[in-house]
Order: sequence, then structure tokens, then C-alpha cells
Amino acid sequence: MAEISTTTENVITFENVKFSYPASDGAYAVNGVDLAVRRGEFLSVIGHNGSGKSTLARLVNGLLEADSGKITVLGLDVAEGKNVLEIRKHVGIVFQNPDNQTVASIVEDDVAFGPENIGVERGEIGRRIDWALKAVGMEEFRHSTPTRLSGGQKQRIAVAGVLAVKPEIIILDESTAMLDPKGRREVIEVVQKLNREEGMTVILITHFMEEALLADRTIVMNRGEIVLSGAPEEIFENGEKLLTYNLCLPRITEIIKTLNGADMGINDVLRPEELAAQITGKFNEKGICEAQSSPARTAEISSAHEWDIDVKNLTFTYSRKSPFATKALKGITLHIDDGEFFGIIGHTGSGKSTLVQHLNALIKLPQAEKKRRKVKAKRGRPAPVLPEIRVGAFDLADRKTNFKELRANVGMVFQYPEYQLFAESVFADVAFGLKNFRKNLTDEQVALAVKESLEIVGLDYAEVKDKSPFDLSGGQKRRVAIAGVIVTRPNVLILDEPAAGLDPLGKKEIMELLHRLHREWCRTVVIVSHDMDEIAENCTKAAVISRGEVVMCDSPAALFARGEELVALGLDVPLVCKISDELRRSGIVIDSDCTAENFAEKVIEVYREAGNA
Amino acid sequence: MLNDVTFGQYYPVKSFAHRTDPRTKLLALIAFIVALFLTKNFYGLALCLIVLAAAVIASRVPLGRVLRSVKAIIILLIFTAVLNLFFHGGEHLLVHWWIIKIYREGVIFTVFFIIRLFLMVMASALLTLTTTPVELTDGIESLLTPLKWIRFPVHELALIMSIALRFIPTLIDETNRIVAAQKARGADFESGNIFKRIKAIVPILIPLLISAFRRAEELGDAMDARCYSGSKNRTKFKKLKFGWRDIICALVFAALITGVVLFNVYAARIFPEIYEYIRLS
Repeated sequence: MAEISTTTENVITFENVKFSYPASDGAYAVNGVDLAVRRGEFLSVIGHNGSGKSTLARLVNGLLEADSGKITVLGLDVAEGKNVLEIRKHVGIVFQNPDNQTVASIVEDDVAFGPENIGVERGEIGRRIDWALKAVGMEEFRHSTPTRLSGGQKQRIAVAGVLAVKPEIIILDESTAMLDPKGRREVIEVVQKLNREEGMTVILITHFMEEALLADRTIVMNRGEIVLSGAPEEIFENGEKLLTYNLCLPRITEIIKTLNGADMGINDVLRPEELAAQITGKFNEKGICEAQSSPARTAEISSAHEWDIDVKNLTFTYSRKSPFATKALKGITLHIDDGEFFGIIGHTGSGKSTLVQHLNALIKLPQAEKKRRKVKAKRGRPAPVLPEIRVGAFDLADRKTNFKELRANVGMVFQYPEYQLFAESVFADVAFGLKNFRKNLTDEQVALAVKESLEIVGLDYAEVKDKSPFDLSGGQKRRVAIAGVIVTRPNVLILDEPAAGLDPLGKKEIMELLHRLHREWCRTVVIVSHDMDEIAENCTKAAVISRGEVVMCDSPAALFARGEELVALGLDVPLVCKISDELRRSGIVIDSDCTAENFAEKVIEVYREAGNA
Repeated sequence: MLNDVTFGQYYPVKSFAHRTDPRTKLLALIAFIVALFLTKNFYGLALCLIVLAAAVIASRVPLGRVLRSVKAIIILLIFTAVLNLFFHGGEHLLVHWWIIKIYREGVIFTVFFIIRLFLMVMASALLTLTTTPVELTDGIESLLTPLKWIRFPVHELALIMSIALRFIPTLIDETNRIVAAQKARGADFESGNIFKRIKAIVPILIPLLISAFRRAEELGDAMDARCYSGSKNRTKFKKLKFGWRDIICALVFAALITGVVLFNVYAARIFPEIYEYIRLS
């Protein structure tokens, strides 16, 4: 039996490692990587999709085998087959999709899976379950079913399952990509604690620049190579370079860049409080203690009110009449104006997806059902109020409404829409919806419509139309899926988490695409999101949904001015608001519309005016 | 929504029956069915009915829920009952109309047959109402353990069952989502003839299959990463334990079978006139 080394300084070493996937025609997914991970280190790895960072994780514990070069883990060579199991005992990996990592239907059974595999005796397994669940803060869910938990909770169970094997190194392979901000925070906090308190070596592979900042060291990957390595602060000072590696700057770095464009001389920092302190300092140097920017402009929507969406008293219960009945919506009243770029905010399970599925009658109102469930008034209580929904001229409470025509006019893009592609060619997939809705189109008309919609989502019609949708890259697939919805030229386009799971650049591109669609293709765009910065930067108006109720509905600037209430609901506020709040405390009021650009402009404006005065 | 199918019929309360070891319940069900088929007269059947009634009371599941399980086989029941009624021969002719002849023996046999089937279905339902699928899997695995001696892959089978159970709700969610997404693109699953409907399923089936394969691959990686290497050197955290409830169960069902056998032998001596009237040929 190979012996693991408990004393080495470097727990993982890569020496000129190369790896290529069999289907990639010899293109290296990992190309000549040298890396040493120190014991107890917290290392973050960033890079765009396909940069080789996940491959790196799989090479470490022998899920993939390197073509050339040498990888050692705790002094053991990964290439030697007999070492693999021993290495896996010491290196735990938490993967991306929380649903695809649990084997059992009960939490404790799942956590026990790892220790059972390596033959730990029963009493000890029990102790390890106690310990691992406590470490991730999930003790009370020991006897629950993973499928009934939230994404963040599921992922913490996955972490516990890995911990129960008692590894020394834990790798998170984009484990936060599919979670909402709350879930992400939960997982990251657990990992930070393990690193600090248990001295565990952590490798965090992530798309979120804000998470990468928490590490001791960050490496940046591009095309299978490590292109940058150093403390997070150093990495993000190299702003321009990051852009060439298809990565984005953290928003705070962008703000600082703009401010320095106006010679404010701000040092690079990564936390909102630090930036606020610096700005205050600069103002004080100029002798300004109190200042007020011009009021934020409010986006005016000029609309014909032809396609207004009106929801009244909407309630909905899942699994009615079963012991598992859950009330998803508790009386939603909401109005969305024609022409709006509307945001619906809320974390997983708040009912936002249920709400939007009502808007194109995927979930029909009870009055519109074929077999109507009569809601009888209970004695002594007033008759229940029936929900109402109108979308443009369509009355969704009316059974005689042409629901097919409604759906052609209200396009709906679900979360991860690329998972719904099915046809043999991109053309057929995009044409599917069109042919369903418009039966009497000629082939030329169909081809033209498909061409136009593929082009507006930014794909080359001639190049992709005959390809199988499954051969495209992740971002392209999503574009095809969106094209398949907009091909009917809907007046209202609803998207559930359109940017979920994409890398930062992909997110940016999708949001740009949505703005293009809003300008040129549809009248109203509604996005469901839990990313506050996304809402702040893109939407003209937004509603916050929490536990099936509309808590607020206003312009982003007005919403985020009530930041404390949002935080109380377990939601986040955009970065800009955090900085503005800090500044307000020191007497500087920057009234921006919560976008990074506008905020920076306003700060510069105040700064200059004060200089002139 | 199909969300709660996996929990099958499980009725979440705490009761004697819920806390009984799943192995005991499985064996008890087998014993009950054996008793049902052993019995040759209504006395034995009545004994079975009493035991089942006691089990229903001990399970604290509303009687309506247990009875509802019979709904699934009601058509089959009526069909076979009618066949039996018409084609069972006998001595005492009751009805003779056109080509239909119904004998007293036929009526008695049909009643006997229906009660037997009713009891069997209700007993099986009671098992699933009081036992979670997970407990059932554990129970089956444990009962199959002796088969390891003939190299039957008990552990693998149990793992497959457990993973299948675990993924049913996930895949149902996924199906719901795909159905909704294709409906939003105008797909119609509710009208048209059978061929059209089968064709309409393609846009659901393909994404579902692809997703299932993707999940299987990811799960495989996750299991590998958690040191899975087959059943060798593997320990098991959960061990089922028999308790006092199981002893009571064992006694009751042993008594049931003994009772049924005794009735078979001595039934003719108990109320001979009644016995003679309802005797099965």
C-alpha cells in the first residue's frame, strides 16, 4: 500500500501536465500546467467557460488521466492506478449540479455513502455524519429528503457527503454556479470556515469574481494554461489583461477605473466599504464634508398600453389536497406596463417561476380550466376572490380565450432553455414553435423567420442551420433556444434566469442580446432574476417577490434605496448601493440609478463641482 | 403536478404499523397472502379480515385511504366476477335466462373470490401506506442478503433501487419543466389521434433522455470521487433492528396461518348447517 505523506509542504503538484479530450482533435484542454498547492491554502481558480479549470479538478483525483506530465497528490503519483483510491480519500470534489451528486433519498444515508465505501465501521460513520452535518450547518435536516431542500442546502449536503470521507483537500468545481445569492453565501461561508478552523486546503473553481477575491491566491486560466497567478488584489489590478482572457472585471474595479479616468487617484480596493472610505477621503481633502448629487433620472416609458399585463389576487397552491400542499402564491397583484424591461426578483422558492407561468397560461386560472374546480364559500366567511389576469387584449380568466394565440404572443424562455432542445438540426428546432403556432406558412416564410431570429440572437444562419444543436457550445445552445421562442415574434418575452450558469462574459452578452430584442423585436421584456446587479443595470422597473407575495414594486433606484428591507428578506443589494450607503453615512449623497456607470459619473460630477466652488 | 408520486401512497403518521421493521411487514404481507390462498372456506377468510382490520387500526391510516387502493383494480375485479358468476357450474340453479345460467355455488364462489382479492390488494396498499420507499428498499436488500451466497449482486441491486428512488422526483420535475417549455412553444399534447400524440412526445422524450444520461454521467463522477468501488470492503451504516413490535407481528401472523389451517380441517364441524350452505365446491 502506498503511503501518503503528511508532512509535505505542497499537497498538490502539477509538472508540465497536458490533457486533451478524445473528441477534441488533439486540442489541449490543459496545456502544460505547472502548479503547486500549499497545505492549508485557499486557492481560487477563474477562467472563462472551456478554459480548462474543471478539467484540472478531475485530473487531481484521477477521474481523468493526464496525457503527459506528472501530478502528485500528498506525495502520491496519480498516474499509478493503485494510488487512485487512496488519493480520492484525501481529495473531495463538490460538483456543479446539486441534484446530481446525491445517491440516497435521505440526507444521513447520503452522507454515509462515502465512509461506507471506504469501509469505516458503523459507530464511526455515525460520528462522522454528526460532525459533517454540523460543519455545514444542516443538523436539523438529517432525516429530510434532499429533493425537498433548496439549492444551497442541497449543495451543503453534497459538501457534507465529501467531508464525511475526511479529506484534507476539498475542491469546489463551480459548486456555486447554479445557486441563488443566498445559497452561494451559505456554501462559501462553510468552505471558508473549513479552511480557517479545520486547516483544510480549499480549491475554489468559480465564475464569480467576488468569490475569487476571498481566496489567499488566485490563478487565472485561459485555453488550458495558467496565465496569471497571485494574490487576488494583484490579479484584479491587471484589469486590461483579464479582459483579453475573456473575463470581466469585478464591478468595483470598473467603478474605480472610471473614477481614475477623472484623475481622482483612487487605489485599487476590492471591498465597497474601502472604496467609500477612499472617496470620502478624497472629498475631505478638497474640504467637502457634505455634498449632494443631482437627482437620479428616472426612465420614462412611453407606451401605448396595448400590451399591459395586469395580475390581480393571484393565488396558487401546489399538490392541493395532499399532505404536501404548499402555497406558492398568496394573492399577487401586479401591473407591468407595455414597453417595460421588467425585473422580477426573489430567491428560489419565492414563487416567481410559478407567477410567470401564469402569464402565458401554462398554469391556467381555475376559472379557465375545462373541469372547473368550484371554490365553495365556507359558511361564515366571504366568498373567495377569484384571481384575474389580463395580457393585452387576452383575458386569461375566460375559458374561451384563444390560449394558443396568447402563447404565440407571450414568449417564455425557461431556466437553462438549452436543455429543451431536441431536433436533429438547429433549423428544425427553431422552426418547431413557429410551425406549431402558424400552420399555414409556406416553407420560404418559415425559412425567412428562422433566419431572422437566428441572426438577431447573434448566430450565423448559414453556418449553424444544419448543425445538430447538441454540437454547439453552451452559450450558442442558449441562443438557439431563445431563437426558438422569439421566432413567433411575441409581443411580450418572459425569461426565467436568462443568464444562469454562464460565465461573466456570457452573462454580459446575453443581457446585451435582451436589450437588442427589447429595442427591435418585442415590446415588453420580463426577466426573473436573483442577481441584483443584473436587475439594477438592466431593468426599468422591478418587483420583489418573497414567500408568494409582492413586497415592493418600483424603479430599481427606488427599490434599492430600501436596501435594508431587501437584506431583511435575505436578498442582496447591488454593489453600488452598498457604496452609496457608506457615503451617505459620511454626509455625501450620491443619487444614482444604481448602475456602476451612472454612479461613477455622479461621483465625478460632485467632485468637480466642489473643486470649482 | 406529479411531484409527489415517489412518496407513493405513504401516509405520514406515527403508528405501530409505521414503526414496525420493513422486513417484518414484507414477510407479514407474504404470510397474509399465503393465508388467503390456503383458506378454503369463509371462516378462514373472516379470520384474515379480522387480522387486516386490526392492522388498519394499528396503522392509523383512515379506512378511506386503504379502500381507495382497490379503485385501481375495480375493472379487473368486476370483469372476473362476472365471468365467474356466469361460467361457474353447480347444482342449485338460481337464474336461468336465455343462455345465462347462474348457480348458487357460482354466487358463493364469486363472493369468496372478490373478498379474497379485496383483502390482498388492501394488505399490499397498507404496506406502502405505512412504509416509505426507502425503508422498503432497505428491507428488500436485507431480506435478499442470503442470496449473496449464490453470487447474486444484492448490493448492486439495492444501490440501483435506491438511486432510482432518489431520481424519480428529480426527473419528474424535469419532465414537468420540459412539458411546460414545449407547450410554451405551441406543442399540443392533448388533441389529435394516437399517432399524432405519439409524435408529440418526441420533443419531451429526447431532452429527457439526454438529461438523464448527463445526470448519470455526473452522478458516476460524483460517486467515483466519493471513493465508490463496488461492494468490496464496504460497510453499512444503517442496520435494521427487530423490536417488540416485530415479535407481536410474528405471533399474530403465525396464529393467522395456524388458524386458517385449523379452519380448513375442522370447519365442517362449526355450525354445520351454515357451513354446508356456503361451502365451496
